[in-house]
Amino acid sequence: MANKNIRSLSFRKELKDNLFENIANLSLKNASKEDFQELAKRFLIDDSVVVGTASFYDFTREENRNKKIHICSGTACMTAKTQDNLYKNLDNYFAKDEIGHAACVGRCHTNNAFMYNGNTYSASSPDELEQILPSPAQSRNQENDYNIGYNTTPILTSKIENITSFYSLAKNFKTNPQQVIQEVKASNLRGRGGAGFPFWFKLDAVLKEINTQKYIVCNADEGDPGAYSDMYLMEHQPHKVLFGMYVAGLTVGANTGILYIRGEYPDSIKKVNEAIIELQEKNLIGDFKFKVIPGQGSYVCGEETALLNSIEGLRPEVRVRPPYPAQYGLFGKPTVLSNVETFANIHWILENGGDAFASLGTKQSAGTKLVSLDGFFNKPGIYEIEMGTDLHTVFHEFGNGFKEDIKAFQIGGPLGGIVPIHKIGDLTLDFESLNSNGFLLGHASIVSIPSNFPMIKFLEHLMEFTADESCGKCYPCRIGSFRGMEMLQKAQNDDYKIDRILFDDLLETLEIGSLCALGGGIPLPIKNALQYFNEELQHYFTSN
Amino acid sequence: MKAYIENTAYEFNEGETILEFVRRIEKNKNAIPTMCQDDRLENFGSCRVCSVEVAREKDGLTRIMASCHTPTPEGLYIYHNTDKMKRLRKNIVELVLTDYPTYKILPSEGKKATPFQETIAQIGIPNIRYPEGKNHFDIEPDKGHPYIKSDLSQCINCYRCVRACEEIQGEMILGMSGRGFAINIIKGFDTTFDESACVSCGACVQTCPTEALTDKFETKTLIADKTVRTTCTYCGVGCQLDVSVIDGKIRGIQAPETAEVNQGHTCLKGRFAFQFYDHPDRLREPMIKKNGKFEVVTWDEAYDFITSKLIEIKNKYGANSIGGISSSRATNEENYLMQKMIRVAVGTNNIDGCARVCHAPTAYGMQQSFGTGAATNSIEDLKQADAIFLFGANPVKGHPVTGAKIKQAFMKGVTSIVVDPIKTKLADLATYFLQIRPGTNVAILNMIAYYIIKENLVNQHFIDSYTEKYIDFKKHVETLDMSELEILTGVSKELVRKAAIAYAKADRAMEFHGLGVTEHFQGSKTVMLLSNLAMMTGNVGKNGVGLNPLRGQNNVQGAADMGVQPHQGAGYLDINDSEVQYYYAQKYGVEKMPEFEGLKIPEMLDAAIDGKLKALYIMGEDTIMTDPNTNHSIKAFKNLELIVVQELFMTATSEMADVVLPASSYFEKNGTFTNGERRVQRVNKVIEPIGNTKPDGQIIIDMMSRLGYIQPTGLTYDAAKIIEEIADVIPFMKGLTWERLGENGLQWPIKEDGTDTKMLHIDGNFKKGIGTFHHFDFEESPEIVSHGKKYPFILTTGRELEHYNSGTMTRRTDNQTILNKDVLEVYPRDAKAKGIEDNETVRVFSDRGSVNISIKYSKNVKRGVLRTTFHQPEIFINLITGSVGDKETMTPEYKVVAVDFEKIK
Repeated sequence: MANKNIRSLSFRKELKDNLFENIANLSLKNASKEDFQELAKRFLIDDSVVVGTASFYDFTREENRNKKIHICSGTACMTAKTQDNLYKNLDNYFAKDEIGHAACVGRCHTNNAFMYNGNTYSASSPDELEQILPSPAQSRNQENDYNIGYNTTPILTSKIENITSFYSLAKNFKTNPQQVIQEVKASNLRGRGGAGFPFWFKLDAVLKEINTQKYIVCNADEGDPGAYSDMYLMEHQPHKVLFGMYVAGLTVGANTGILYIRGEYPDSIKKVNEAIIELQEKNLIGDFKFKVIPGQGSYVCGEETALLNSIEGLRPEVRVRPPYPAQYGLFGKPTVLSNVETFANIHWILENGGDAFASLGTKQSAGTKLVSLDGFFNKPGIYEIEMGTDLHTVFHEFGNGFKEDIKAFQIGGPLGGIVPIHKIGDLTLDFESLNSNGFLLGHASIVSIPSNFPMIKFLEHLMEFTADESCGKCYPCRIGSFRGMEMLQKAQNDDYKIDRILFDDLLETLEIGSLCALGGGIPLPIKNALQYFNEELQHYFTSN
Repeated sequence: MKAYIENTAYEFNEGETILEFVRRIEKNKNAIPTMCQDDRLENFGSCRVCSVEVAREKDGLTRIMASCHTPTPEGLYIYHNTDKMKRLRKNIVELVLTDYPTYKILPSEGKKATPFQETIAQIGIPNIRYPEGKNHFDIEPDKGHPYIKSDLSQCINCYRCVRACEEIQGEMILGMSGRGFAINIIKGFDTTFDESACVSCGACVQTCPTEALTDKFETKTLIADKTVRTTCTYCGVGCQLDVSVIDGKIRGIQAPETAEVNQGHTCLKGRFAFQFYDHPDRLREPMIKKNGKFEVVTWDEAYDFITSKLIEIKNKYGANSIGGISSSRATNEENYLMQKMIRVAVGTNNIDGCARVCHAPTAYGMQQSFGTGAATNSIEDLKQADAIFLFGANPVKGHPVTGAKIKQAFMKGVTSIVVDPIKTKLADLATYFLQIRPGTNVAILNMIAYYIIKENLVNQHFIDSYTEKYIDFKKHVETLDMSELEILTGVSKELVRKAAIAYAKADRAMEFHGLGVTEHFQGSKTVMLLSNLAMMTGNVGKNGVGLNPLRGQNNVQGAADMGVQPHQGAGYLDINDSEVQYYYAQKYGVEKMPEFEGLKIPEMLDAAIDGKLKALYIMGEDTIMTDPNTNHSIKAFKNLELIVVQELFMTATSEMADVVLPASSYFEKNGTFTNGERRVQRVNKVIEPIGNTKPDGQIIIDMMSRLGYIQPTGLTYDAAKIIEEIADVIPFMKGLTWERLGENGLQWPIKEDGTDTKMLHIDGNFKKGIGTFHHFDFEESPEIVSHGKKYPFILTTGRELEHYNSGTMTRRTDNQTILNKDVLEVYPRDAKAKGIEDNETVRVFSDRGSVNISIKYSKNVKRGVLRTTFHQPEIFINLITGSVGDKETMTPEYKVVAVDFEKIK
């Protein structure tokens, strides 16, 4: 495992005086070189570590430190084609180099999204913008409203009536880690971040590790453009998430829970921090400690090992596995790491029993799943859907159909499949159905691709996204996604056709050669598109 | 445990990666191509060309895994050379080549292929089908550093340099910036090598698989006539070096990865500082001083002159009027011959060496406590230690390769205790840093012992079973007043208590010490008290513990082993003992040996002033520059009738000689050096002797025969034959032969069958039978007692990374470009109180004299303490150091000098 020295030095100050937060804070206030060097000295590391980390993230890298406003560059806003207009409207308020980008701010339901002054907004017209940016006065908050619903016993979307009694459930399990693991095992709860790994296994593995220091880490870096279900949970159901982490801590013997929340969700950071303060004030979690670490703009941090490196202040480059986080996680200590939604299920499982949970959904995909519908739906929003439900039902009964002609959906984020609209009737919302049809459940975000949106442009967006977000460590992703992007651009702008054999070689290299799911996953939607939209795409490629 | 390679089952080792497994079974390092992988680095998995197909069953459905970081599981079927993998590798190389200069795909004319060029050739040069896109060809090369250059247009971003910097050297100078396609190697705060804090170790250059990082000698692409493995001359670590020779000239050095001592690493001295060897200043001809000027003479003339003068002096004043000083830079064989010449051919025990100015107290003290004056353990034990106790040493500078290992252990969080008056880099990283007033070592050790006893953390079983006189020690320590010692040492009781507890509670606590222990008035006592700590906690005789002196010069251990000391002959036998005298006489084939113990170097100098010593024969030692109180040394030298010096260069000492004999450097001869862990390693001749020089060993053999003793191994210096003789004389080297030394040497004791010894005193079996506790009170140095009032500052001297002691060699390389002056480190407020600015030149003076030196504000020293180095003859810091020495061994107290300093008007 690389970077053991830096990791260990960072661990000396751990979370109280966290290296990553220090680097972020200095960057965000555009501190001097001397300040950065002083920080490096204080951590007994060299300058290159601090520079290397700061230069990685969208919000901390030097060339972005003067940005005053960040326009959403997420997939949903792109297919909605709202952002050129927004950019034009911002002209009255900002110089061009003051306008930066954010890779999805979780307003896929309304689009026209941007982040400004610690808040996210949507504004489709100059008038709306004028409401938000009343220069020079402070901008006021704008609620992030969307529809919320469910089609079964609500687990994630049910209201918590009383925080104290909600947390009192933990008492029953405090001294019995095996019981928690048994219930979670019986529930068949699989990780909700996309990989679908059985959650009980992680608890069990960390419980078995002998180490005085263990951690619970919540991956709240919901980076998939189009997904905002974790955002919903953090902003509307923070205690479900915190409770799950707290019980996981009790179970495996960890006294610290860290939520790594993406910086593009400023409201989530606020709401979770408020919930943590509430817990402390009500003294509901003993000496268990929570800590929120805000991300600084990097998709790859959603990859679990990159996320751990990020918290440590290292460059969030993907680690090799094994060792797995359960053995060598945060600061090299045993760590339970899972997604927001996974943790949010724990309370219901413990309250109602693992079997009750398992009886919901399908055999292999138990429980419910939050689905994010984008602004092309007549009723965009977050819906809690029992696994195994027809996608058609979700789209029409909940989404209430579409505002425009849609030809396909990208389901499950940028690495999820591109599903042509005619396949929707064949699919149900669960891991197996999508997998067996050559797609992915992922994090169950739905981004619509309207009929008039060129598929080649969508592919370019995917490759560009990957090239932008690649950590740069492994060769296929670092060079391959960049060359892929260049070819897709050239094919649109120049008299150039992409060598199809070369392109297939590139996709294979990415798919089988990449270190993590970013480079490894991007060929899937591209191959879907090449299969289902061959007619539209073929003239960009040589015919061989 | 079995796994299958191409459907054939083989045993795999626990934890072995697929890559290691396949390489081992197929006995081919290139069985699977790699780019980012280096055996010495943590597995990284970035290039992916080592990917293989694996299946759970024979010819089953395969998955693709990177073999470098995937452990081999039981029953796995590995298919590593399938068409699919060949295609993947070629496609990856194609991608890499889209951002790599075309003219570097094949080796340049007259140059060896780089590892990357070899990998391209192995995988097959792909046809690059991608349209021209963005690239990094316009990154400016960085050529400002004296040794290391970068041309990142050739960089393939494998991170090997970045990882080597952190994982091999323990620095983080090299880093990566940006992300994705824009990643870019940076140095420090995105600056140049020269501007960064780079320590110039060259680990990055050696691991870089392209020419993105090179050294000025372009070592990695040299097509050498031959590459000779030898042992570095620059410190007691004993790094192995691969020296490349073209047309009889040294063209570059790399560190062999198979070397047990340094595993492919070395420092800037070992790797780069070789240019001294044919520097114009090298002495090339023998010279005799006539009318105050040196004149070139023939070897015969020089030998005749020396012989007649020595015989004249011997006849007139007796053999004891002659003294010899040997060199810890010379080989074992040469040191052996030198002491033999003085004892047998001259007939006196007046033989001493530079251990006198460094580790004599270690040898003495550890002999008193344990029975053997050498490191108890091996450096590789560092991996097993869970506490490291570093006392008076700065190995990051003095012993860089061992220093880097210790530093990494510190960084990774091993319990670490540093005792030093100077806040070194390691002190900064340590768990406990006890910044003592210089000279209070005995006091702080008594404090540590006190708290170990008080906290009841002694290992009573070990004490009872294997040691003696603990009770006396305990009683003594218990009477001490901690508050008094707290004031004396300047270290809080609470901090000492915590450090003591940490040391005693560790399962395996490993001690290292340097000259900060020995170069003191109470040097030997300090060594014995350190031995006490190890014994009272049971930290002797197992892996990961012990007392491990960081020997200063490359062969200071060996020189002592060979008998370069006035009281012990080869193999540490007491020359006062008549049986021993008989033993040596038998072995050397002479009638009798000199009877009386000889003079130590300081005694020789005093005897010269008294008119009792008339001649000094010096082999490779700059006594004038390196011994304390220079004026005293000069006075002594002036009183001598004959001074003979064998040297590489004109030094302050050879300037005063009557005869100067040009010696060959270590590149020009065979022999052995013994490192700080008792490891005897080969020095192999790389090139022919420069000019008319001769190896020191040859000169001594020539001189002996003229003095009437014919060396039994013949009149030509032949290291292998002399080793045979040494093995016959020194009991603990019985099994030593040139052949057996092989590539990685042997650690003594070496049994008759050739088995060597990694660890001494195993399970409490002390060499002297039983370990002995000693007890001492702190005693203020006479230097402070006599001069402390008048000269209220304490000056302590040390070394810098770039230079090797008096710098005769390193100053004649580009190391001098990196660091070209000695400075005086002063606590800012101390300087400001005297109205002195940073970088101002001041006069620093003691009871002996004064020197002018520029100061550096530094908070690495406490108030009242000054620190400097002694590398540059322009400063000649020993003009002000004093004559106080360790009571038992007379090792000078370089570390405590009462001085004051003032503005130069």
